[in-house]
Parts: sequence; C-alpha cells; structure tokens
Amino acid sequence: MRLRCSQLQVAFPSSNGSVPALRGLTFDSHDGEFLTFVGPSGCGKTTLLRVMAGLLNPAAGEVERIPGPDDGNHSILLVSQEHNLFPWMTASANAAFGLEMQGVPRREREERARAILEKLGCAGKERAYPAQLSMGMKQRVAVARCFLSDPAVMLMDEPFAALDCQTRMVLQRELLELWEQDRKSVVFVTHDVDEAILLSDRILVLSEGPGRVVAEYEVPASRPRQALLEMNGELWELKRNILESLRLAAGTARFACAR
Amino acid sequence: MSPGRFLAARLWLLALLLVGWQILAARRILDPLFFPPPSKVGATLAAMLASGELGRSLWATLSRTGLGLLAGVVLGGLVSVVICVSPALRTAVQPLVSVLYSTPRLTMLPMVMLIFGVNEGSRVALVALSAGLVVVIQIADAFRAVSRDYVDLAANYGASRAVIVRKVYLPACLPQIFTALRLSTGRALVLTISIEMMSSNDGIGSMIWSSWQTFATEKLYASVMMAGFLGLVTGPLFHVLERHFVPWRSAQA
Repeated sequence: MRLRCSQLQVAFPSSNGSVPALRGLTFDSHDGEFLTFVGPSGCGKTTLLRVMAGLLNPAAGEVERIPGPDDGNHSILLVSQEHNLFPWMTASANAAFGLEMQGVPRREREERARAILEKLGCAGKERAYPAQLSMGMKQRVAVARCFLSDPAVMLMDEPFAALDCQTRMVLQRELLELWEQDRKSVVFVTHDVDEAILLSDRILVLSEGPGRVVAEYEVPASRPRQALLEMNGELWELKRNILESLRLAAGTARFACAR
Repeated sequence: MSPGRFLAARLWLLALLLVGWQILAARRILDPLFFPPPSKVGATLAAMLASGELGRSLWATLSRTGLGLLAGVVLGGLVSVVICVSPALRTAVQPLVSVLYSTPRLTMLPMVMLIFGVNEGSRVALVALSAGLVVVIQIADAFRAVSRDYVDLAANYGASRAVIVRKVYLPACLPQIFTALRLSTGRALVLTISIEMMSSNDGIGSMIWSSWQTFATEKLYASVMMAGFLGLVTGPLFHVLERHFVPWRSAQA
C-alpha cells in the first residue's frame, strides 16, 4: 500500500490559542518502500505518524490509502517509542496480539510468536512480562508484533531512540534482515541521520514545527545491506547534505519566528 | 529463607513482650485484675472455643462483614462502571462520594437505623456503604489513570470497544481492584466490630462490650485479640490472591 498525504494540518490547543504541529504537509510514500523522515524534535513527526495510523484526525488535508497488489490486509500499524507493550501480557501474548485480533487460534499464534521472537534473539523470554524485559527486548517484541500482523504499511516512531548504541545497532540489523525478506511499505521516523541512511530507500527532511518537507534524498545503496553500511563517497555526500538541510530547516524556522 | 527463620524474624519481639507480661503479672508487679497474664487469657480463649461461644461470635462477625462486603463490592462495582462510562454522571456523583467518604461511617449508624430500623439490615447496609465507597473511589481513579497509549495501541490493531474494555481497561485496573478489595475488607471488618459494640447482641464487638461492662477482663483481652487476629489474616490472604490474579505486578518488583 502507498499513502498519499496532502496538505495535512494539525494543531494542538495551548494556553495561548493553539500551536500548529503540521502545516500543509504533503508527500507520497511508495509501495514497498522504506521511507524515513528525519527532523529535529518537536517537528511533528509523532503527530504525523498518528495521523497516518488513523489515530488522530487532521484539521485539514487527507491521507489517501492506495492499496498495492500484494497487500495481505489493509491495516496500517504503528510501532512507537515507548508504552509499546501491554504490561499485563507476557512477551509471547504481546507479540501475538495482532494475530489474536485477527482471530488466529491460540496454538498457532503462540507458535508463530515463538518463532519470530527466536529469530529476533528473544528465545526463552516468551513467558516474561514487559517489566522483566530490557528496553531492547521490549522493542524487539513490539517489532515482532508488527511484523506478525503483516500490515500493508508499518509506521515506526523512533523505535530505537531510547536504546544504547550497541543494542541499537543490533536491532537495526535485525530490522533490516526481517524487512528485506518481503519489503512491506515502511514509514520510519528518526532524528539519527546514520540510522536513516542505513535503513531507507528515501529520506525526507522535516523542518522544525510546524513540520514541512524541506528536502528529499534517495539513498544510493543496494540491498540487501550490511549492518555497517560502507560509507563510500556518495553516502558521505548524502549525509553532509542531509545535515546541511537540517541546519537550514532549523534556521528558517527561527527566521520565520523572528519575522 | 526457611519458614522457621521467616517466622522467627517477625515474631521474636511479640513473644518477648508476652513473656515479659507473663512474668510481671505472675509476680504481681502488674495488677492481674487489669492485666491478666497471657496464660490466663489463652486459657479463657480455649474455654470460649470449647464452649462454642467464640465460634458463634466469629461467625456472627464474619457473616456480617462478608454480607456487607459482598453487597458493597457489587453495588460499588456497578456505580464505578456507570461513572466510568459517563463523564457527566461522574462529575455529578463525585461530590456525593466525597461527602459520604469524609463522614465517619459510624456516625451514620443512628441515621441508618432510623431509615432501615434497628435490625441486621441496618448493620449490613452501613458496612456495605463503607466498602462500596472504597471500591468506587479506587476504581474510578484506576480507570482515569489508564494510559491513552494502550487504548490507541489496541485500537491500532483493530480492537473493538468491547475488546478494548476486556483487554485494556480491565487488566489495567485489576491491580487497583485488588487494592480496593483489600482496603474495603479491612474497613468492613473494623466497622462491623464497632457497630457490634454499639448495637448488637452477638459478634466479636458485642463480646468486647459486654466483657467490659461485666468487668470480665480476661474475656475482654481474649476478644480484642480475636479482633486483631481477624485483621491480621485478611491482609496476607489478599496478597496471595493478588499474586495469582495480577502476576505482572509482582514481576515489576
């Protein structure tokens, strides 16, 4: 499935009127593409994903869902940064929650949850409750749940932001491997430029709030990728350009405020 | 830790006090009329048990507490559901709950007896009110504290409203439901015994009051100890139940 977002507008009430979170955000995601948004914190990334997931209605604009040829179902699932697992369910039950909602029988969903958790390095943790899991394990279970449901689009809101550097690298590799197997559409959000380059086909740079797309880049690297992407001249150039766009984006926002 | 050491670590001070008391009373340093030695209190307790008097009192108190608790938890539960569903009703019910909760329950006994008559119904009704208020306050709090994130998460996976109630709201509130049960049981027990002291012909409270009036000090001590014992055993009972029904809460420790 691809998503066509046009003129999205969202504002949140505040003590003095309302603060715009998104103002006229327009972009297309492509079928089977790994699309990443990078932007400073407070640029409305989380808001954007909530709108795309259908959890928040925009004040104006729309998200058009254009089904692709090999969508199993038409769901759009969100993996967020935290509060991702139900504290009252075991890792296995959390991972299988999507399957449970789809009406898959218990035996089968437990088996499938066990298999994917094992693939993600969580073997033996099936019966643990989230409170007993490390941050990295929790995010693995959340990613497992998303993949098990086989959604038409996966939305990921800085899923690795709270992790330490090593754990983040491991999870990035696991996500790459899992995703490159059948390349569902992903819209990923991060403020980590290296992470964006490693994972994505295409990168959109958002300005400081209210979020607008200020630059767009294709990532010139083939797939499947290695966890440590060899940073050739082209990729260094890309990283430099993205950082420059981010710097300019922050600058224009401040300029706009000053005016 | 072995069960022996577990008990020893908790009970040595209590045992020491009892032994000291026994010695002081036996040597007449404490007046045995006012401070009957623990051995005599124990003997009285055994005699009361043998004659069936203790059993009858315990049964009267526990059945009264249980009945009030059951009615209170059921009614309180229903009220909680209603105010969780309707914010408007919640706003209206809240001041009423606050007023009732701030008024010492025992002071309402004469009023309740005016309404229901001087009978078992009044006693149980007051216990039910006390238990019900705790339940309403706890559950309404718990319901409001359920994180929006979990509701969104379930909704994102296509859960219907009914499923969200069953899979999110209910388990999210379960720890506080158990807290409510534990607190309301304690309150119900205290209130029942207090009511019995003021207006009843049976139960632990009645036994305490009649022992006081007849100056049967050994029986008085024995009855008060029974009241304490009842309070003591209900706490751990609920902890065991909670560990079973809310396993993720102990996982957090």
